[in-house]
Formats: sequence, C-alpha cells, structure tokens
Amino acid sequence: MKILVLVKNVPEVAEAELEIDQGALDLEDLEMVVNEWDNYAVEEAVRITEASGGEVHLLTLGNEDDEDVLRRGLAMGAHAASHLCDEAFEGSDPATLARIFATAVKGGGYDLILTGVQSSDLGQASTGVLLAQELGLPHATMAIALEPGAGEVVVTRELENNTSEKVALPLPALVTVQSGINQPRYVSIMGIRKVRKMTIEQIQADDLGLAEEALGAAASMVDSQSLALPPMGEGAQMLEGGLDSLCDQAAAILREKGGLA
Amino acid sequence: MNPLRTPFWGVEWAWLFYLLAALALAALALGLWEKISLWAQGRRAAPVASHKHPLGAILADVFLGRRIWRGGASAGLMHLMLLWGFLGLFIGTCAVAVDHYLVSFLQGKVYLWFSAGLEVCGLLLVLGLVLAVARRWLLPVPRLERRPDDTLLPLWLLAVACGGFMVEAARLAATRPPWEAWSFLGYGLSGFFPSAQAARDLFPWLWWAHAIISLGFIAWLPWSKLAHAFAAPASLYLQGQPLAVLAVAAEEGELAALGLRHLLHLDACTRCGRCVEVCPVAQAGEPFSPRDLLRRARRQARLKYSPLYRLPWLRDRRQALLERDRAADWDVAWYCTTCRACLEVCPVQAAPIEMIRKLRAGLVEQGSAVPPQLMDTLEKLHRYGNPWVAKKGAKAGWAQGRDIPDLSKSGPEVDWLYFVGCTTSIDTRAQGMARALSDVFTHCGVSFGTLGKKEPCCGDIARRLGEQGLMEEQIETTQALLNKRDLTRIICTSPHCFDTIKKVHPLFSEEGLPLQVLHYSQMLHRLWQQGRMFFDHPLPLKVTYHDPCFLARHNRLVDEPRGLLRAMPGLELVEMADHGLNSLCCGGGGGRMWHEIPGQANLAVRRLEQAAATGAELVVTACPLCLIMLEDARKTGGFEDKFAIIDLSELAARALGLAAKDGEAQASA
Repeated sequence: MKILVLVKNVPEVAEAELEIDQGALDLEDLEMVVNEWDNYAVEEAVRITEASGGEVHLLTLGNEDDEDVLRRGLAMGAHAASHLCDEAFEGSDPATLARIFATAVKGGGYDLILTGVQSSDLGQASTGVLLAQELGLPHATMAIALEPGAGEVVVTRELENNTSEKVALPLPALVTVQSGINQPRYVSIMGIRKVRKMTIEQIQADDLGLAEEALGAAASMVDSQSLALPPMGEGAQMLEGGLDSLCDQAAAILREKGGLA
Repeated sequence: MNPLRTPFWGVEWAWLFYLLAALALAALALGLWEKISLWAQGRRAAPVASHKHPLGAILADVFLGRRIWRGGASAGLMHLMLLWGFLGLFIGTCAVAVDHYLVSFLQGKVYLWFSAGLEVCGLLLVLGLVLAVARRWLLPVPRLERRPDDTLLPLWLLAVACGGFMVEAARLAATRPPWEAWSFLGYGLSGFFPSAQAARDLFPWLWWAHAIISLGFIAWLPWSKLAHAFAAPASLYLQGQPLAVLAVAAEEGELAALGLRHLLHLDACTRCGRCVEVCPVAQAGEPFSPRDLLRRARRQARLKYSPLYRLPWLRDRRQALLERDRAADWDVAWYCTTCRACLEVCPVQAAPIEMIRKLRAGLVEQGSAVPPQLMDTLEKLHRYGNPWVAKKGAKAGWAQGRDIPDLSKSGPEVDWLYFVGCTTSIDTRAQGMARALSDVFTHCGVSFGTLGKKEPCCGDIARRLGEQGLMEEQIETTQALLNKRDLTRIICTSPHCFDTIKKVHPLFSEEGLPLQVLHYSQMLHRLWQQGRMFFDHPLPLKVTYHDPCFLARHNRLVDEPRGLLRAMPGLELVEMADHGLNSLCCGGGGGRMWHEIPGQANLAVRRLEQAAATGAELVVTACPLCLIMLEDARKTGGFEDKFAIIDLSELAARALGLAAKDGEAQASA
C-alpha cells in the first residue's frame, strides 16, 4: 500500500510565554515541532507498512527550516519526502493549500492519504477534507482506528460522548487522523542523523505549473487580519512578598470573601 | 622401603580411562572455546585499552576473596576453603601427571608431605562444600537461589572429594603401606573396611566410580557457574579500564553489542545475589533484579555470539529464546536508578549498569517502547535543554534580583563557572540550593559567574536514558560554550552534572581541555579549610546525612559533606543504617525523577524510614534530585512532623547567618 502523509511544522506553545509582534506570533523564543495530529498520522502509516508492506511518502509545505519535520518523519520510518517550498505559497488559505497539494499529489498513485485532523497553530481542520474534494476522493475525519483491507479501508471515527462510528471507504481515500490513535514512537537524534543523507524532493511553484494568481494570499478567500492574546481580565490581583506573607495574604482574602468558614 | 605412588594400582583397562578422560577434556575444551570465541566478540565491539591496576589488589581479590568476605564471614570462609582445596588438588593432580609421564619425583619424604598436603586440600574442599550446602539449605542465606544446579554442583563435587578419600582408604586397607598415616584421612577411613581382601575387591569399583564422577565434573566445569574461575579474575583485572563512551557511529547497527569486559561479567557472575540484596528497586518490591538481568544478558550473548548456536537445528530455539528474553528486558529496562549499589558489593565487579545503558540505548533507537513520560522528557531536553519545562530561557529565573555575571556573554573574568544544572535552576524547591550557594560564594568572596539562561543540559539525563546522540549533542553544546570563554574551572550543584562533566565530557573534548570540576560540597569544604568560610551561627540540631549515590558511590565523596556538618557549631551528626558508600538510593536517579512507573513503590519513603529511626530533626543531603525525592516522600510518607529535609548548601548558608530565603524557609517552617 502506498500512503501519503501530509505533515506540518508548527510552533510549540503549550508552556511558552507568547508574544505578538505586529499582528503575528513572535517565533523567536518558540520551538518548531511536528503538528501533534500529523505525528499520529505518520506513526499510523508507518505501522501499516511495517505490518503489510508498502511505502510511506511525506509531504509538507513551508520554508527551508520546515524540512526538519520531514527528516523526523523519515527517521520514524517513512520512505520518501517532498517539500513544497516557495515564497509564492505564503499566505494561502486552506482551499488554496488544498489546490497546491492536489496538484503536487496528482499522479502519485497513492492508495491512502493521511492528514492530521487539524493543525495546532491555526486549527482550521479543513485542509484535509478540501484536498479530498480537490482530488475527488472519499474521505473520513477524526479516525481513531484504521483497518486497511483489500480495496478498502475501515475507519473508526471518534464522535461525541464516547461514541464512535465505523465507516468503510473504497481506496484510494483520504482520512484525517485523531490524536490518540496510537502511541507514536520516539525519534532519537541518531535516528535523525541516519536519514540526513536521504534526498528530499524540492517542489516550487513553477514545478506545479500553477499561475501566480492561483497561489498565496492573492488566491485566498480568507485573510488573516490580526492575532491577539486574550486581554487581561478584571479582578486579578497579584500578590507580592515572601512565602509566609503570601500565604497570610491569600488566607486573609479567602476569609474576607467568605471562602473560609 | 621407599614411599612412592603406584599409578593405576589395582586397576585394569587403563585405556578406557584414557578414552573417557579424552572425552571429558574435549567437553572442557569445547566449553572454553565457546566462551573464548564469545569474549573475542567483545574485543571486536570495543578495544581493550591498556591500563594499570595494582596487582596486589587483584591477587587479594582473587586468591583471598577479599570482596567475598564483605558479604559475610561464612561466604568468605566457604570460598577460601573451596578455592584453596580445589587449587591444591589441581596442582596435586598436575604434579602426579608430571611424576608419571615426565620426571619421577614423588617419592620418599616429598611423597609423604605431598600426600599429607593433598589430604589437607581434600579436607578443605569437603568442608567448603558442606558449608556451601549448609548456607543454601540449612542457614539459609536469603539472597541465595536454589536452582537445580546450585544443589547439584556442590553435591557432585562432594561426591568427587569423598570418592577420592574412599578410593584412598580402600587402597590403604588393601596394601597397608608403612607410611599410611601420612594420608591421615584415608587412613582413618580405611578402618571401615572389614578386611584387606574386601578392600581389594571393592577397590576397582570405587576407583571407577570416582574416575567417572571426576571426569564428568571436568566436562561440566566450563558449562557450569564454576566457569567464573576463568572469567572472574579477568573481570576483576579489567575493572580498572578507563571509562569509554563509544561514539554513536561505532555502535550503529549493533547497539546491544557488549565489550569484552562486560561479556566477561556475564560469566564471572555466580548469582550470589548480593546485588539483589542491596538494589533499592528490588528491595522496594518492584519487579526488577540485577541478577536476573545479568542472567538474561548472559543467555542472550550466548544466543547471539556463541558458535554453537549457529548450528542449524538450534537456530529456531535461539530465535524463540531471544524474543522471550527481549520482552522480559523491555519490561524492566526503566527501573534501574543507576545508583551503583550492586557494583559496590559485587565480588567480581560485574554489575549490569552498562548492560542497562545498552538496553535503554537499544530501546531509544528502536523508539516504540520508550515510556511516554520519558519520551516527553527527552524531547524537552532536546528542544529546550532541560527536562522540566517546554520553554526557552527558563534557567535564569532563580537568580532574579542577584547580580551574577553571565559568562555566556562577554563580561568580567571570573575564577569559577558555577554550573547550576537543570533541576536546580528550574524546580522551585531545588532553586533554594542555587540561591544559597550563590549567597555563600558571594559571602566568601569567590569570584564566579553562571551561563545564565544559555546554560545547556550537561547530557547526564540523556546518557542515563540511553539517548546517546542527544548526550553527544549536549556535551558538544556545553563544550562550545566553555571553550568560547576558556572556562575550565567548574563547580556543579548536582552530583549528576558533576559526574558527567568530570568523567564523560573530557572524552568528547577535542582540545582535551583540562577541566577542573568540583561538586559544591568539595568547594565549600575547601573554603572552610582555607579559613575563608567560618560557620558562626550555632545550629543546635540533630541531623542525619543522606549520601547521594553520585557523590558517594560514583565519586567516593563521603568525607567532605560530613566534614562540613561537623564544622557547623551545635550540629550533632547521626548516621542512618545505610550510609556512606552503602547509602540507600532516593529513587530519583537513572531518569526515574521523570518517570512514574505504574504501581511503583516509593524508594524515598524507605530511605526516610531509616532517617526516622535515627531521631534526627533534620535530614541533610547534597543533591537536587535527592532533595526533591526526599521532600516529596516526607509529605506523602507521613514524616512531616518528624523532621525537615534540607540541602547542605542551604544549611551552610544558615550556619553563616545568611538570611533564609524561599525554599529554605519552607524547609525550616
């Protein structure tokens, strides 16, 4: 089975202190990591090929540094990787991205295309399904289990309140993968070093034969206006002092507000 | 009549004996050949460096069993009797062979003393064997296992020894030579034969039984645990090998490959169980035993490298066994705290620390069996240079409000780099150590700086977790920072950073930078000795000191911290049951600080039970990991009203009258 996985490099923000610089996230102090959902998708694809043969190809779109996300996937066991890297792609909305991906993927002969359910940075959860639309493929979202069979894949989809749904899709198909579908493996530094010499296919806008007006912000229907941190709410009070003093102050406030009987 | 030995007296079919002897020797040779070809694999995996080792110490360890006596007098006595009884009889047999085939010298006085000498050796062997059986079955020593061969082997040897005496007795009873009293034991036994004729009739039967049992033993020798007679001396000798960290590239493909020294360990081990007895993990009831791990490693090494398992009909069995052992190893790979207690007590210096590191390295490379918490820790280490928070620049937070030169930037020249370490700079409880130390250094006029928020991880955690590549990367990052400012004098807060920077970093330093690395307890001790630090605030407290494994066992630093405690006026130091080189691990080493094993026993609680027994009001330690583990156990184990936990650095600051701050205030509260 030939599987394509779309992966994205995203900033890790869970514990970081974020700063917004001119309406955009300041990436200076942030580390770029593989989008969590995509990591599950890569692991799932690698497991399928480990169990029953085949190939895993990776595809990402981003700047030169984003090649890391492909190297990491190769170290996990993917067999080949392609990098859509061109300034002309910048500012694309999901629909435009889907068109770019569709052009790059067409004729690749993939039986199965996997993406994460969403990316952790923008969280639009639409590139995957739009790509299915562009390619005219059946798709299923939020997969928590995949059972590839002859000519079809059975997908267990996670629904609300612990319910799930099983759907069968004829291959080729596209599936967006939910987190928790597996336990992705650890990628060691040595593992990444080992794939350092593998060639990554570089794809630019010209190679796709897409006109400039079909790319980037110009072609996009959605335009990002600004990015903001949640405003500091009223009612927060910062206490200062040593530990004992902090405890006394906190207890006094609780007592005062009726929190302590 | 000249006393002399009559070979093959009263025995016919000597040729049959030679045939059987040839078979036994063939089995012996096959066994030794298997071992030697296995050990040769280790030489290929890691070359043996030349090193000096005091010969006297090795001889004392081998021929007096010095390290065995430490495990109990009866163990030492048993081994001494067995070893010398065995050696004496072996030398005697060789002498007989020389006498028979080369030069005849066993006659007259020489023969009489020779006979008496062999009687003594035989007696030692018998007594040693009786003691061995008694220790396992009658006393019994709890650490000893009772596997079938543990019983069969001493009984077999006993049959050899007693059979020898019976043959001798029968010969004496049949011939009654005038010098028979020299063979005093055989002479004593000869009285049991009713007549000379009876002894003569019985003699061939006894002789052949003795011959067959003895030859059987020779054939079994290299396949039994007595093979340690060959491997243990070599293992003890190679113990002095300099630390070698194989470059990652060299280990590619065959990560589990062990060097000669570690392959020798496998055969040197006699499963005496001292390691299990002192292992904090095994003793806390977790399903881990250094002995079992070593035994599996031995089998795996045989399965992988032994020429015998190349035989086609053993191949399937080999594969099945390998897979079973692999699964068992995977289950226990992450228990070890690398506390080194096992190595401390091992009579043959063969504890499985390196094996565990290799096992972990293999798992990290393979990737899918790394526990998620450790994966998270390793990823944080890789991206953020610390195992605690996914945030850059978290390492300078503790120093807020303190004017400490940042040596990662251009700044003033200082004498010392204070390497704070990940845990000390980030964990809120451990930060108290950094603050106390920087205050003490400032107070004593030590010129020092830190690497500020650029301080990398020293690589210790990656090393202990088997992430070789990450370790190398972190060592290179650290070295680059140090080289930039020619920083060669380093003080570490954590015994873990201290150990790694002192021992492992120089192996990676291209310039071979002369690093002078101190643990802070050494530095404080030095300041006190030089009279630059005077403890003038009395602390009327009864304290006990918990030795961190990486100070005490890994670096033999037990006196400096105690010297400081004794120098503090008013302090009374009491020791816990396990202290100094026998310290009991807090459970935070080997990566376990960042890994909660489901259903894990609390190792630190066991430690605090020992502390409570001393009646101390304060438990002092000198390591951020110990501090956190013990502090947590104090809260969860119900010791809160019994004593407080404090770090030596914080206590020093108090004895100097430097204001208690933050974490320390917590400890004294």
